[in-house]
Amino acid sequence: MHAIFEHTADLGIRVEAPSLEQAFADAGRGLFTVIAGDLGQIRTTTVESFEVAGTDPTWLLFDWVSELHAAFELRRMLFADFAVAIGATGLRATARGERYDPGRHRLAHEIKAITQHELDLHETAVGWEATLIVDI
Amino acid sequence: MPDPIPKRTGYEGPLQRIDDCTWRIPKESRPGMRVDGLIFADDRLIDLVKSDRAAEQVANVAFLPGIQQASLAMPDIHWGYGFCIGGVCATDPAAGGVVSPGGVGYDINCGVRLVRTNLTLDDAAPHVTRLVDQLLQDVPVGVGQGGRYVYSPDELRGMMRQGVPWLAARGLATSDDVACAEAEGCIPDPMPELVSDRALARGADQCGTVGAGNHFIEVQVVDRIADERAAAAFGLHAGQICVLIHSGSRGLGYQVCDDALRALRDAPAKYGIPLPDRQLACAPLDSPEGRHYLGAMRAAANYAFCNRQLLMWQVREVFARVFDCPWESLGMTLLYDVAHNIAKMETHDVDGISKEVCVHRKGATRAFPAGHHDIPARYRDTGQPVIIPGDMGRASWVLVGGPRSLERSFGTTCHGAGRCLSRTAATKAAQGRSIAHELERAGVIARSRSRDGLAEEQPAAYKDVDVVVDVVHRAGLSSKVARLRPLGVIKG
Repeated sequence: MHAIFEHTADLGIRVEAPSLEQAFADAGRGLFTVIAGDLGQIRTTTVESFEVAGTDPTWLLFDWVSELHAAFELRRMLFADFAVAIGATGLRATARGERYDPGRHRLAHEIKAITQHELDLHETAVGWEATLIVDI
Repeated sequence: MPDPIPKRTGYEGPLQRIDDCTWRIPKESRPGMRVDGLIFADDRLIDLVKSDRAAEQVANVAFLPGIQQASLAMPDIHWGYGFCIGGVCATDPAAGGVVSPGGVGYDINCGVRLVRTNLTLDDAAPHVTRLVDQLLQDVPVGVGQGGRYVYSPDELRGMMRQGVPWLAARGLATSDDVACAEAEGCIPDPMPELVSDRALARGADQCGTVGAGNHFIEVQVVDRIADERAAAAFGLHAGQICVLIHSGSRGLGYQVCDDALRALRDAPAKYGIPLPDRQLACAPLDSPEGRHYLGAMRAAANYAFCNRQLLMWQVREVFARVFDCPWESLGMTLLYDVAHNIAKMETHDVDGISKEVCVHRKGATRAFPAGHHDIPARYRDTGQPVIIPGDMGRASWVLVGGPRSLERSFGTTCHGAGRCLSRTAATKAAQGRSIAHELERAGVIARSRSRDGLAEEQPAAYKDVDVVVDVVHRAGLSSKVARLRPLGVIKG
C-alpha cells in the first residue's frame, strides 16, 4: 500500500508492504499516483521489462523508482501495475501501462526528480516501510 | 494504508534575534557547524519559519567545508531538501570549500524574466482573456508537453556552450535580449560534453516550454512605483503592461543534478566530509568531481537562459497575433533575466579580504548594488534589477540590488514569496471551491493544464510577497522599485 504525504513544496510517497518486492511495486504505484493523480485512468495494455543493478536495498529502491520516472520522461510511459523480483545483484521487473495520451489523460504533477532527502527503506515487524520525496 | 500525513515537526532549536529582521542560529548550538546560521525575517514571518524544518537545514548547511561568514536564508525560506529554499552559502576553494548540487537544486538556473510593453491597462484590459487563452494554446505548458523547438544533441551542446547568443545567431533573440540577461545569457566555462545522453534526451523538445509546478507566464500591470528614479532607469511606469516568465532548465537540468548526486554519492566519504543529510552531497571545488559538476551545471544554466528566451519569443508572437501588429511595435523589450537557482564563482570581500568564492543560491536572487561591474551598462548607475514573483492573486515586485547586499548576503536577496502551505494542504483547502472563479472575481484570468495546478498554487499557499519584500528592503539587501499586479496567468 502507498500513501502520498506532504512536504512544503514537494510530495512524499510512503509505502508499507508485507515483502520487499511488494514495497518496490507499491513505490512504483505511488510514483505514478503523483504523476497521474488517478491510476484508474491508466490502461495496462503495454508491458515493459526493467533490470536494475544494485546490492544496497535503499539505493536499489531509489534507482528503480528513478528508472520508472525516466520511462515517463523519455518515452511518456504511464504504468499502474508492477511485478518485481529482487535477487542478490539487483532486480528484474515488469511494468504494465500505456503511453501518455494528451487527449485522454489529464496529469497531476511534473516530477523533476526523485530526491535523496529523507530517503528510507527499513524492515519492520510485519514487512517493509519505505519513504521517498519527489521534487515537484 | 500508511499514515498519509505524518505529524509535521517544526524547528525547536535556538534562534536569537540580532535586529528587527535578522535571526541567528549560533554555531555552538550543534557540533560540526563551522559558521552561524543567519535568517532574514521579521516578527510577521519568524513563526512561519519555525513551523517547518527549514531552519534545521540552514544549520545543516553550516557543516559544509570552506563555508564563509554564515549559512544564510532569505525571508521566503521554506523546507527544501538538503538546502532550504531561500538558502545561500559561499564556499572558498582555498579553504577546502565544496560545491553541492543540493545548493542549486534540480532546476538549475530556474529563474525569471520580465518583459516590458508599451501597452497600458486600458489598451490591454479588453484583451486579457483572449491573451491568456492564446498563450495557453500556443505556448507549451504543463506535464508531458514538448515544444516546437526540437534540438539534436549537437545543437543542444552548441546552445549550452554559447547560451542566448546561440539563439541570436538563429534569429530567435535580439542583441538587446542578450545584453539584458544575467551573465548576458551565458555562464562562462560550461562543459556541455559532460551532460549525459539521458539529460540531452530529456531536454531535446523542452527548450521553450514552461513546465509545471510553480512555473508560469503572467500578464501583469505596474500598479505602484516605489522608486521613481530606478523605475525610470528600468523603463517602468504606473499602468504599464508587463509579462513575467518563470521557468528553468526543464528535464535537462533536472537530469544534470540527478546525475551529479549519483556521482557524488561516495564523494563525502572519499574526501572525509561528515554531512548531516545525504542530500547535501558535495565535493571540493578543486576536485575532479567538483569541476565536473560545475561544468555540467553551467551548461544546464545556459540551456535555462535559452528556455526563457524561447518562451519570451513565443509570448511576443502571441501578443503580435492578439494585437495584430509586430511585437516590436508593442515595445516588448526584456527588462532583465535573473537566475535564482545557481552556483557561481564571484569575488567578494570576506572579513576584509577579497576572495573568489562559490556562491550557492537556492531559491535566492543575485542583487548587486549600483556600480558593480557585472551589471549591464544601462543599469550600472542604478543597480541590478531584481524580479520577485509573488503569487497569482496578489502581486510581484521589481527591486534593485541594495547597498548592503554585498556585505550581508554575498550580493543576494529573496526569490519569491515562499510557500507556506504544502501542496496537499492547499488542495484540501480548495475542496469545493473554484480557484479559477475566485481569481476571476478578483480580476485575474487563470488557466492551468494540470488537475490540481490552480489549487496547489493558489494565493493562500504563499506568504504575502509584500511582507517578504519589506524585510529585504529594510535589511538593505534590495530596494523596492515597482509593484506589479496580476491580470492573467497560465500555469503548468
